[in-house]
Amino acid sequence: MRIFKLLSAFFKVNVQMSLAYRADTVVNILLNLMWLGWELLSLNIIFNNTDTLGGWGLGELIALLGVFRLVNTMMIAFIWPNTEKFNQSIRDGSMDYTILQPVSSMFLVTFSRITVWRFWDLILATVLIVVGVNMSAETTTAPQILTFILLAITGMIIIYSLWIILIALTFWFVKFDNNVTILQALMDSGRYPATVYPAWLRIIVTFIIPIAVATTIPLQALRGELSAIQIAVFFAVSVISFFVASRVWKAGLRQYSGASS
Amino acid sequence: MFLIFKRLWQVNWAEQWQYRANLLMYLFYWLVSPIIYLAVWTSIANVKGSVNGFTANDFITYYMVLLICDQMTSNIVIHTFAYKIQDGTLSGELIKPIHPLLTNGLVNNIAFKVLTIMGLLPIWIILFFLFKPNFSGVAITGVLLSIPIMVVAFFIGYLLSAAITSLAFWTTRVYSIHEFYFALILLFSGQFVPLPLMPKLIQDIAQYLPFQLFLYFPIQLILGKLSTDQIILGYVMAGVWLVIAIVTFNWVWRQGVKQYSAVGA
Amino acid sequence: MSATIQVDQLSKTYKVPERKGGFGAAVRSFFKRKYKEVKAVQEVNFTIERGEIVGFLGPNGAGKTTTLKMLSGLLHPTNGKANVLGFTPWELKQEYLRSITLVMGQRNRLSWDIPAADSFLLNQAIYRLSDDEYKKTYKELDELLELEPLMKKPVRNLSLGERMKCEIAAGLLHRPKVLFLDEPTIGLDITGQVRIREFLREYNKRTGATILLTSHYMADVTALCERIIIIHHGQLKYDGGITNLSKKIAPFKLIGVMLAESNSHDLSKYGTPVQNEEDWEKRYIQVKAEDVTRITSRLLADLPIHDITIADPPIEDVIEQAFNS
Repeated sequence: MRIFKLLSAFFKVNVQMSLAYRADTVVNILLNLMWLGWELLSLNIIFNNTDTLGGWGLGELIALLGVFRLVNTMMIAFIWPNTEKFNQSIRDGSMDYTILQPVSSMFLVTFSRITVWRFWDLILATVLIVVGVNMSAETTTAPQILTFILLAITGMIIIYSLWIILIALTFWFVKFDNNVTILQALMDSGRYPATVYPAWLRIIVTFIIPIAVATTIPLQALRGELSAIQIAVFFAVSVISFFVASRVWKAGLRQYSGASS
Repeated sequence: MFLIFKRLWQVNWAEQWQYRANLLMYLFYWLVSPIIYLAVWTSIANVKGSVNGFTANDFITYYMVLLICDQMTSNIVIHTFAYKIQDGTLSGELIKPIHPLLTNGLVNNIAFKVLTIMGLLPIWIILFFLFKPNFSGVAITGVLLSIPIMVVAFFIGYLLSAAITSLAFWTTRVYSIHEFYFALILLFSGQFVPLPLMPKLIQDIAQYLPFQLFLYFPIQLILGKLSTDQIILGYVMAGVWLVIAIVTFNWVWRQGVKQYSAVGA
Repeated sequence: MSATIQVDQLSKTYKVPERKGGFGAAVRSFFKRKYKEVKAVQEVNFTIERGEIVGFLGPNGAGKTTTLKMLSGLLHPTNGKANVLGFTPWELKQEYLRSITLVMGQRNRLSWDIPAADSFLLNQAIYRLSDDEYKKTYKELDELLELEPLMKKPVRNLSLGERMKCEIAAGLLHRPKVLFLDEPTIGLDITGQVRIREFLREYNKRTGATILLTSHYMADVTALCERIIIIHHGQLKYDGGITNLSKKIAPFKLIGVMLAESNSHDLSKYGTPVQNEEDWEKRYIQVKAEDVTRITSRLLADLPIHDITIADPPIEDVIEQAFNS
C-alpha cells in the first residue's frame, strides 16, 4: 500500500516536471511515432525480400517489436533518466540525501525520475503484440499468454538487476559515468529474433547483456516453444539476479559509507 | 592560414585525446546496429541463396565497408556546437577573426574522426576474422575513386549538419530537428540495407538526394559494383550537392548571426 | 534519561590512493595500490543534551563535516561509538532517519525544474506524514520563514537565500528531533545569514529540537550557541561555553588599509602586520578588539589612507593562534 502511495507521489512530481517542458513532450511523441513508422517500414522491406527471418514470420516480428518496445519503455521511462540522475547525485553529493531518507535507497534510485510521456508507448506496444499474434497463423492458448507475460516480466527483472549492478559499481569506481553504455548499445539487438545472430553475438545478448531474455524468449513462450523446465529456469534466474543485485547495491552503500574498508 | 589550421589541430587533437575513453564507448555503441543489419540480411541470404541478387558475402562485404565509409563521412557538429549557440558561449568565438564552424568546429570534427578511425581499425580486423568476407571484387581504381567522393561527402554532410545546428539561433529544439534529419539519412543513405532492396519509390528519391553519397555510393564504388555511367552520375551529384550545401549553410549561418546579434544574446 | 547525542572515541581514517601521473604509474597502481592514511577525525568525545544548540567550529578540512556525516549515519567510523536518540546512526534504521535531518548548505535536495511545493509533497509521502501533520508543520514553517510566496515558483528561479529557506524547510517537514546543519548560511549575504539564524533559534525554542551546526562564520556560532565545540586537525580542541572561549581566544580585529605610497610606511607600530592572500591591494594589521577605534583614528590621522576596512580575522587564524601556540 505504502509503495503505491510513494509511486504515485513520484509520478505526480514527474508529471509536474514534464509539464514544465510541454512542447518538448509533443515533439518527442511525434518523433516516437516517426521511429515506429520506420520500424514498421524496415520490417516491410525485410519481408518484401523473404517470408521468414530466423524461422519467424512477419506477424511474429511485429509482436516481437511490441515486446521490444515494452522493454524499451522501461529503459527510457525509468532506467536512462534515473541513471543520469544517479551519476549526477554521485558527482554533486546529493546521494547523501537519498541515503538519509527513510525509504530503501534502491527504490528511490529506481523511481525518482520517470519519463512520463513514454507510458503511452505501452498502448502502442500492446497493439503491436495483439496485431502481431493475430497475424501469425498459429493459435495461441491462454497458458501460453500467461507464460508470455510471466517471462516478459522476468526478463525485465533480469535487465533491471543488471542495471542496478552496473550503477552500483560507481560506488567503487567513482569515474564510471559510462556505466550503462554497454546496456544501451546492445538494446537495439532486441528488435530481431536472437536466432538470426551469429553464435558469439547470440551468447552476448543471451548470457552477458541479456536483452534477448526479455525480448526473444517471452515471444518463444507465446509460440509455445519453451518447455516447463526452461520457463522455470528463467523464473529462477530472475529471482536470483534480483537478489544478487540488491546485495551488490547494499555492498556499494557500505563502500560509500566507508564501512567495508 | 595554414598556421591557424595547424594550431587548431594541436588544440583539438589534445582535447579529443583526453576523451578517448568516451570515444571508445561511442564507437562500441555505434558499431552495434550495422552488425545487427549484417546479421539479419546474411541470415536471409543464407536461407534463400541470394536476395535480389545479393549473396551472403555481398551483404557481409557491404556492411564491412559501410563501417569505414560511415566513419569517414559522418560528423558530430550538432553535439559539439549547438549548445554553444544556446548557452551564449558562441559570442566569444564570433568576435575572433576566423569562422567558428568552418575552422575550429571543422578541425574538431576531423580530430574526432581520426581518433575514431584509429579505434575502429583493430575492431574491424576482429570482425574480419569473425565474418570472413571475400573481397575479391574490390579493385584499386574503385578504392581510389571513392576517396574524393568520401571527402566531398564529408563536407556535404558537415555543411548540412552545420546548417541544421545553426537553426539553434532560432529554436531550442534543434536536437529534435536533427533527429528527423538522422532518420532521413537512415532511409536514403543505404545504411539499413543496400538501396536496390528498398521500395522502388525510396530508391527513386534517394538518387537525387545527397545521403546516398555518404554510404551507398562509395561502398558500391569500393566493391566495384558500379558502371562507368553510374560513377560519372555520382560525381556530378556530389558536385551539385556540394554547391547546394555551401550556399545553404552560408545563408542560414548569416541569417542566424544577424538574429543572434539582434537579440543581443 | 540519557543524553540525546553521545559520542565516544569516534575516529575516522580515510585511505586515499596515492598515485603519480603518467601511464606507467597508472598501471602499477592498478596492480598494487599504495594508500595514504588521512586521519580526518581522531578519538572525539562529547555529549549533547536535548534542546541544546551546539556550534561546531573549525577551519576547512578540520573534520567537522566528517563528524556530522558519521552522526547522521552517512559514514561508518573507523573506530569508536556514537549514540543518537538511542540509535547507532550508521545502522540507518528507518525510525532513526525519520527523527533526524541533515541540511548541507552546498547541496540541493529540491528539484530545480519544479516549484518547491511539489517537492514538499513528495517528502510528505517519503516520511509518511498524514495530511494534518504536514499542514500543521508547514504552517509553522511558513510563519517563521515566510515560505508561501516562494512555493509556486520553480526552484531555479529563486535567489540563493530564498532557496536556502526552502531547503531548510524541506529538511524540517518531518519535525526531526535532531538537526545536523552543515554550513547552513554559506554563500548568503548578511541579512540572509541573520534570517536563518533567527529562524533556528525560534525553531529550537518552539520544538525543543537539538541542533548541531557547523560553520566557519564566527558570527553564526556566537549568535546562536551557548556551547561550542572546536575541532582542529581532527582533534577536539575545546568544548565549553562561549564566554569561556572568548577568554581563551583573545578577541582580535583585522584592519586593512590601502595607502597612497603602499610600501613606504611602517605599520608595525600600530599592530601586528599579517599577510592576507586574498587581497594584495591592502595591507593588514591585527589589533586587539578594544583598541580598534583608537588605532583606526590614529591611522587616519597619520597616513594618506585611500580606503580602510575592519573585519573579524578568519576563524582558521583564531584557532591556530589559540591552540597551536
